[in-house]
Amino acid sequence: MHFTLAAKFLWRDWRAGELTLLLWALIIAVGTVTTITLFVDRLQQALLNESSTFLAADRVIASSDPIDPDILARAEALGLKQAQTLSFLSMAFSEDRAQLASVKAVSDSYPLRGTLIVADAAFVRGTPITRGPGRGEVWMESRLLPSLGVETGDLVDIGVASFPIVKVLVKEPDRGGGFNSAGPRVLMNLADVAATEVVQPGSRISYRYLFAGDPDTLGEFEDWVKPKLGLEGRIFGVKEGTAGIGSALERAERFMLLGGLLGVILAGVAIALAAQRYALRHYDHVAILKTLGATPDSIDSIFVVMFVLLGTLATMLGSGIGYFAQTAAVQILAPLIPIELPAPGMQPVWLGMVTGFICLLSFALPPLLKLRKTDPVRVIRREIGDASIADRSTYLFAIVGTIGLMWWYSQDLWLTTLVFTGGVVAILALSIVAYFLLRSGRIVGMQAGSAWRLALAGMQRRGRENTMQILIFGLSIMLLLILYLVRTALIEEWQAQIPVDAPNHFAINISPEDTGPIRALFAENNIASQPLYPMIRGRITQVNDELARERDKRREQTTGDSGPGASSGRNLTWSATLPDDNRVIAGKWWSSEHTGEAQVSLEEDLARSNRLKVGDRLIFSIQGRELIAQVGSIRTVAWDNMRPNFYIIFSPGALDDFPSTYMTSFYLEKDQKLFLNELLSRYPTMTVLEVDALIEQIQTIISQVTLAIELILGLIMIAGSLVLLASIQASMDERFKQHAILRTLGAGRKLVLGSLAIEFCALGFFAGVLAAIGSEITVYALETEIFQLDYHVNPVVWIMGPVVGTVLIGALGTIATRKVVNTSPTTVLRGL
Amino acid sequence: MIKTVDLGKTVQTSEGQLTILKGINLEIKKSESVAIVGASGSGKTTLLSLLAGLDTPTRGQIFLGDHELNDLDEEQRARVRGEMVGFVFQTFQLLSSLTAMENVMLPAELRNDPDAEEKARELMHRVGLGHRIRHYPRQLSGGEQQRVAIARAFASSAAVLFADEPTGNLDTKTGGHIIDLIFDLNAEFGTTLVLVTHDAHLADRCGRSILIESGELVVEGG
Ligand SMILES: Nc1ncnc2c1ncn2[C@@H]1O[C@H](COP(=O)(O)OP(=O)(O)OP(=O)(O)O)[C@@H](O)[C@H]1O
Ligand SMILES: [Mg+2]
Repeated sequence: MHFTLAAKFLWRDWRAGELTLLLWALIIAVGTVTTITLFVDRLQQALLNESSTFLAADRVIASSDPIDPDILARAEALGLKQAQTLSFLSMAFSEDRAQLASVKAVSDSYPLRGTLIVADAAFVRGTPITRGPGRGEVWMESRLLPSLGVETGDLVDIGVASFPIVKVLVKEPDRGGGFNSAGPRVLMNLADVAATEVVQPGSRISYRYLFAGDPDTLGEFEDWVKPKLGLEGRIFGVKEGTAGIGSALERAERFMLLGGLLGVILAGVAIALAAQRYALRHYDHVAILKTLGATPDSIDSIFVVMFVLLGTLATMLGSGIGYFAQTAAVQILAPLIPIELPAPGMQPVWLGMVTGFICLLSFALPPLLKLRKTDPVRVIRREIGDASIADRSTYLFAIVGTIGLMWWYSQDLWLTTLVFTGGVVAILALSIVAYFLLRSGRIVGMQAGSAWRLALAGMQRRGRENTMQILIFGLSIMLLLILYLVRTALIEEWQAQIPVDAPNHFAINISPEDTGPIRALFAENNIASQPLYPMIRGRITQVNDELARERDKRREQTTGDSGPGASSGRNLTWSATLPDDNRVIAGKWWSSEHTGEAQVSLEEDLARSNRLKVGDRLIFSIQGRELIAQVGSIRTVAWDNMRPNFYIIFSPGALDDFPSTYMTSFYLEKDQKLFLNELLSRYPTMTVLEVDALIEQIQTIISQVTLAIELILGLIMIAGSLVLLASIQASMDERFKQHAILRTLGAGRKLVLGSLAIEFCALGFFAGVLAAIGSEITVYALETEIFQLDYHVNPVVWIMGPVVGTVLIGALGTIATRKVVNTSPTTVLRGL
Repeated sequence: MIKTVDLGKTVQTSEGQLTILKGINLEIKKSESVAIVGASGSGKTTLLSLLAGLDTPTRGQIFLGDHELNDLDEEQRARVRGEMVGFVFQTFQLLSSLTAMENVMLPAELRNDPDAEEKARELMHRVGLGHRIRHYPRQLSGGEQQRVAIARAFASSAAVLFADEPTGNLDTKTGGHIIDLIFDLNAEFGTTLVLVTHDAHLADRCGRSILIESGELVVEGG
């Protein structure tokens, strides 16, 4: 070990600026990773916490019966926080009026996550509070007060007990959809339920047991509980609990991982470039050391010690910078991020450090280990030993390192394979294109003025280096474009998912004779509503001579598939036309004048999980009677469009014999809320499900996720620019020589600067064209394979790529190499 | 000290095989000083780099001290260089990132010699640069740089000093001083000296001259 020697070289090379670029590339690699992982980590936690407020907990067991007390004891033993809610429909009475209300009784520890918002009077802004009503009091929703003709402080009766209205409930965290939230909310304490005598054996009650704690314990608990829950109970977290949010979060996570991945690759490229340059500039040094008796092993030990020292320094600086950058980002963004971020953990810092060393090993070490092979004859004959710089082992290290890092970050082999093979194919294809672009550049240059000729001839002369450089520029721009495109597609998709005027109320139990007047009432009040669909409960009992229950049981045992069961009770409807947003993927939708034998159209997941095909014969049990229907088509349903959606749709006429109620969905602005009272007082039998609060929450989360994604994009942009800079720097030596010679030959500063600018702009332009081609292809693969988005061509890329390339690289390159022109030629030549 | 048997070197060039050295037999005794002379392109530098173990022959044998260089791998040859050989080159070959003093310390440091610094300081004084130890090569003139290189060559307590046109890049007067210095130190340390030169006067100062012509040893004079 030549520790002191290594330390001395390190210090001197650092002072001489030989290591600046490498150090920065490493720092940025570590910094980017640390920043991104820290930020993603915190944001993920925060988003999850925020989303958990949808459930008011991390995990919920929902059941129609009280669950086994053992389960609660187990949760207690594991140290999970617990709360309980109980919901039922009941009449609420004031002195002279009555109204059906959706009552929810909550235990004292409710809510475990999120806050309630309450006010002291109806229809005013509320303030957050982190507990439910105390014993002997009720809180109720604003619109219930006018419909009962009461104010806060008045008494209302629930069952046989009466309670003062202490607060007006503006928002509760876990107000999801579902039947039990039908009707205006009354919130009371769980301990008061017995006194009301409303809850009797046989009453329809839904029990919810809420749990919160750290993710590992929750996972353990969930695994333990699952097999213990009967058919009536189920446990879920926020991801399963609310489908729309779950998929948004998952995609955002993937995006961030992809971002982190690209960041590391970009930094890796920068490191490799910087290390190559360092090695190239040190062959002569090593040759001298060898003449002085340095063995190949001692050369290795000197440079390995040097780089371990450098790596340690860089990872420490990098993770420190990452930590502070991330803290600062959070500070700056605090007003924009409406949620509180949990404190950053130490794990991302370690992750950053490990990444730094992996980057160093796979990108920087290979060219350095080449140094040991330097032929000492170089001291006499300089040209010897230059060519050996990049051989197969270098690539192998880099490839293994890249794949390893990608895999580690994404935890997704498919994503890794896709990005990696995409990258390799792109590099191969792009180098061919780059080569031809360069050739065409020369032909153009022939006919142009002197700065142009100089520039393009120069590019042609260093053909190999410039092809490399175009590739690196092109790949960096490509990665940035990819990220930009995926981001845009994701955000558009999310925004399209829940448009601003998406229906936010569902109306059910509408009697057939009320459908006409209700339609008219909507029109009168300018309320946008969906068509009214008939709705009947029913279930499939038999599939082609086989009992549906048997099929379900078998499926669960053999495949463990948890998709929708065939035999479960469902809402059935009929329709002449295919609902908007539905798409037939097998069979045919019936003609609008369809008569004759009953047909059904099944939703894709239902059909797939239960292996139901077009032509299968199903027997339904509806209101105690049997109905036979044949599967006519399979269709996809946009579940999160907030419109009435059905798994099973019958052909017209098929359900005529069954009395049905109707349902629809409609959109109400905040200030139109009172319309509900009018609607419900005129048609007291109908039920309205209010999902406006839920939608608002989804929209908040989506805007937060969007913001996070923009941030990641920004960070990656910085890493990308660094690569560009590294690549420009790497070509500096060569340019210095070229232009110094030109200037000693009498070329003016202007000519040299002009030709430099043209050269970089041309390189940038070519790189931009390559980037456009590459990103279009990769985005196609990513969007269809990873993000499950619909792909369409992105014309913007074809403009953005070349323009960004030309401007960015032209500017960066000219600025970075301005020194070439401003250094006196003799200084450069003496250094040759 | 040095002995070659039928030493040959052939290299592959774009125009086919080029034989640079065609069967050289020579012997150099301990503490002798020998000049290798010949026209430009005759193969002097190539011969020197073979004798010093920087390069490998394609034919024949080289004995340096007790070692037969052909039998050694790169690792072992490097060690032999470190222990036995000192170099002075036409282009100085100092490490630009190290100070003069640090350059002189290098051979000893590579051998993990704890007295590296002390020895280097002594040698720097000996070559008359005691006051410039902290200067970097670029802050020194060509002659000064060459003196540093000479100090470094002797710092390895080498048995043989190889010098390839050590004055080629210097003016006559400075060159003269450098040559004096080399011969003085050579006498002082009892080193064997192998010197490649164009300069007949310089060759005369050596104990004997070897003339190379087109890769062949023509005259071994004395
Ligand atoms: N690795 C090599 N590849 C190709 N040709 C070589 C190589 N090494 C040496 N030569 C050629 O061999 C010949 C001898 O070279 P060498 O450097 O030994 O000559 P020299 O006698 O030292 O000349 P000078 O006095 O000019 O330094 C030259 O023509 C040189 O071009
Ligand atoms: Mg020579």
